[in-house]
Amino acid sequence: MENFFIGIVILVFGAFLSLFVKNQSIKLKLVTLGALVGSIFALFSALSALFVGNYEYTLHFGTIFPNVRFVLDNLSAFFVVVISVMSTLGVIYSNGYLKPYIEKGKDLSAHCIFLPMLLASMLLVVTVQNALTFLIVWELMSLSSFFLVIFEHEKAEVIKSGIKYLVYMHVSVVFIIAAFVLLTINTSSFDFAHFKAVLANDNYIADIVFILAFIGFGIKAGFTPFHNWLPDAHPAAPSHVSGIMSGVMIKTGIYGILRTLDIIGTPSAKLGFFVLIISTISALYGVLYAICQHDLKRLLAYHSIENIGIIGMGIGVGMIGLTYNCTPVAVLGFTGGILHVLNHSIFKELLFLAAGSVYVKTHTRDIEILGGLLKSMPKTGALFLLGSIAICGLPPFNGFISEFLIYFGMLKGLTINHFIVFIAMILALAGLALVGTMAILCFTKAFSIIFLGEARSENASKVKEDNSSVFILPMAILGLFITFVGIFPEVVFDVLTKPASIFVEIGDYSNITNLMQIISFVSLGLLIAIVFLHILKSKIYKNVENHVTWGCGYNRANPYMQYSASSYASPFISTLTPLFKRVADIKKPKAVFEGEAHYSLHMEDVEEAYFLQPVISAIEKFLTGFEKIQNGNIQSYIMYGLIFLVLALAGVVALG
Amino acid sequence: MENNLLISIVNFIILLIAPFFVIGIIKKTKAFWGGRYGVSIMQPLWDFLRLFKKRRVISTTTSWIFSIAPIVVLTTTLCAGLFAPMIKGVSIVDVEAAFIIFSYVLGFGKFFALVGAMDTGSSFEGMGASREACFTTIIEPAFFIILASTIALSGNYNFSSITNLVQNWGSFGVLITIIAVIALLVMLLSECSRVPVDDPTTHLELTMIHEVMILDNSGVDLALCTWANGIKMVILMGLIANFIIPNDLSLALSGALFLLIIFVLALIIGTLESGIARFRMSHVFEFIFVMCSFALVVASLAAVKMFGV
Repeated sequence: MENFFIGIVILVFGAFLSLFVKNQSIKLKLVTLGALVGSIFALFSALSALFVGNYEYTLHFGTIFPNVRFVLDNLSAFFVVVISVMSTLGVIYSNGYLKPYIEKGKDLSAHCIFLPMLLASMLLVVTVQNALTFLIVWELMSLSSFFLVIFEHEKAEVIKSGIKYLVYMHVSVVFIIAAFVLLTINTSSFDFAHFKAVLANDNYIADIVFILAFIGFGIKAGFTPFHNWLPDAHPAAPSHVSGIMSGVMIKTGIYGILRTLDIIGTPSAKLGFFVLIISTISALYGVLYAICQHDLKRLLAYHSIENIGIIGMGIGVGMIGLTYNCTPVAVLGFTGGILHVLNHSIFKELLFLAAGSVYVKTHTRDIEILGGLLKSMPKTGALFLLGSIAICGLPPFNGFISEFLIYFGMLKGLTINHFIVFIAMILALAGLALVGTMAILCFTKAFSIIFLGEARSENASKVKEDNSSVFILPMAILGLFITFVGIFPEVVFDVLTKPASIFVEIGDYSNITNLMQIISFVSLGLLIAIVFLHILKSKIYKNVENHVTWGCGYNRANPYMQYSASSYASPFISTLTPLFKRVADIKKPKAVFEGEAHYSLHMEDVEEAYFLQPVISAIEKFLTGFEKIQNGNIQSYIMYGLIFLVLALAGVVALG
Repeated sequence: MENNLLISIVNFIILLIAPFFVIGIIKKTKAFWGGRYGVSIMQPLWDFLRLFKKRRVISTTTSWIFSIAPIVVLTTTLCAGLFAPMIKGVSIVDVEAAFIIFSYVLGFGKFFALVGAMDTGSSFEGMGASREACFTTIIEPAFFIILASTIALSGNYNFSSITNLVQNWGSFGVLITIIAVIALLVMLLSECSRVPVDDPTTHLELTMIHEVMILDNSGVDLALCTWANGIKMVILMGLIANFIIPNDLSLALSGALFLLIIFVLALIIGTLESGIARFRMSHVFEFIFVMCSFALVVASLAAVKMFGV
């Protein structure tokens, strides 16, 4: 455990040291070094916690925080592994991504302080076992990520998204505080271990606490009714920050939910269904809106909501398994959900980094004006393809393994022999299948519009890949992780039973391991067959004739005649019209030969349009009533003071 | 065990060869209804072999994706075929939750079929790809509901859960089988792009789905794509056959019945294609929704049987 704290200290020290350096590029390198070394220390201690034995450490900070326990149990250690590895890769990538900003003379001081702060606070969030300290580091995490989001604060929309994010995070914290307060007044302690001891025999409090904590942590994680900050904050932030936030930081919300689950013990039946339903809706909602986005990073942000939903489905299935005392269901659900935490952090970060590389080169996030980038950026393109396949949950890559475990858990759940469980599992199964196919639709769209065909704009046609290792290496490492988890799932599953063992007695799982081995065999065979046949084909058919694409006899096709992202998604979206708020921006040509005309269509989030906006405007209306009191008129303020004094005097006199 | 190995080998050979004959029979049936003599049943096979001798013509727009896509489609279809039950309900790789691996492996192939089509930069192929992607979205959940219901009924997690509904559940099983078979028939027509979802013989690019996706494929690429599509058809027909065939028949009878059902299904497809026209594109979605509703009926029937509500 000392190693862990040394890691944290190194991280913070790196941030501190960067204050004294003038050169922006060296500043960033210093932070990267700090993050790298610090993460290695944290990773080392987490791995030894997973494989050797758990650690516990108590710190004493004076009278307010007499005993603050830090624990690296299996669950915490797993999250520390995810946080340290994925964040460090993001920080390394930032050296490449921020280069153009440094050249433009942008000051990176704030960025260089808050990036390691975010890492350190995330590491502390998943280890601290004391409610009060937890809230402090949680707040530290939210604030440092807020400052990272508003990196380009000179842009108005960035500030707007940043403020939205900040507001959401503080609503989230209110719910978490409420949950902790409930726990503390029942236990008169701040320690998670004491919470656990008391809650074991009080189901009623446990239910309320869990729901409060789920909403609080769910806002951070991005479950559906609370997701609205995600699609705004991610496009606003620099790519490596979006990668870290989406890949890692929102997982602290999942950690919070899992930790609460650990505290409340066996959940009551309604909680399992509650989580499963919310998660299924999140997954569907996320992917549905991802399909109609043209902004690449917004699209990826909506996919985060989808994947958080899938993780939640795994947890929900696991909880139902716990409630109905069906171990295989619980084991499969929890391992599936937790593995998806790891998987999502890998491929989502890869996709955000690849999106960042595209943005650096083309200066646009609008996929409608890209195209043909696979030829000019072959490595980024191939890695984006890898990430796309993985995020769709397709074999032979990692997303499939976690989705398969969740599916298998649902199938096992069908045999619990309980009517409601049967209905829930069948619908969740269909929901997950629908999410999978919609993800295929979404990512074939994203990948092919960006990387295939011909360039749709001047910018996109002149791109040249930056081969420097700070760009390629982090993505390549993530790509390796994707392939490793996909091809050797039995190894990964074996490790994953450790964090899952916090919730459920694992027992004998050799049949799942066998299944994983067969999947591993099939995946490997599939990959080898594809590569072999491809080589064979290109060896045999060397004589290839080149020609333009068939255009129905028309040989002068131009790039604008290609299918666009909107047209690709259109058949699907048009069948689901009621689920969107369509906002069309039309400029019709008025005269006969008028040149200018414009049409664009945007899908707005219905949750924002029909739920959030009315609520906000109602609150605004209520609060504007107070404007009459706070009118900026110094005379009235003096009068208020006078009235208060008179009332106070009268009160004192009346009360004697 | 020895027996299963033998059946597996036969199954695999059927998987490789049967597509050509199935397509041949469909063509012959259409010729019969059209009052023509038609080409020989072997013709698809000869066409296939002839394509291997041809040179590849590739669009200058394309990248390596286009070139690798037919191979991925073929390998994934064959790989999915390893999990699907064929004669006597025997799958070559018989594991729990096999239908999930089956669907997702096919999904991997579909992903590449879609990006391969988009790689040409042709708006026709984009059109086909977007339709194909759109239709798949609702087929898959329906398929999952049906398979999950059979698993819940039989308590058997393997793909062979679909094989013994009739014996175990009597008249109730017959009902479920009929509805499930109709639903799978819709899936067959849509996944293998036959009328009324898609007309493989149409000459207008704007109305095609699957054919237009492989518009720019030539030579060996085209051969691999059509072969893969045929294999997929045989696999799905095999699923339908396994729903129908009782489990306790002897091997010879079961095998003969299996081939007979595939033959009949080919006849049905041929007759359908001669009898009705392709649906308007907007109605296709409604047609595929039939499968979803039927799948939900299967699930409800399974629930009724299991819980007696």
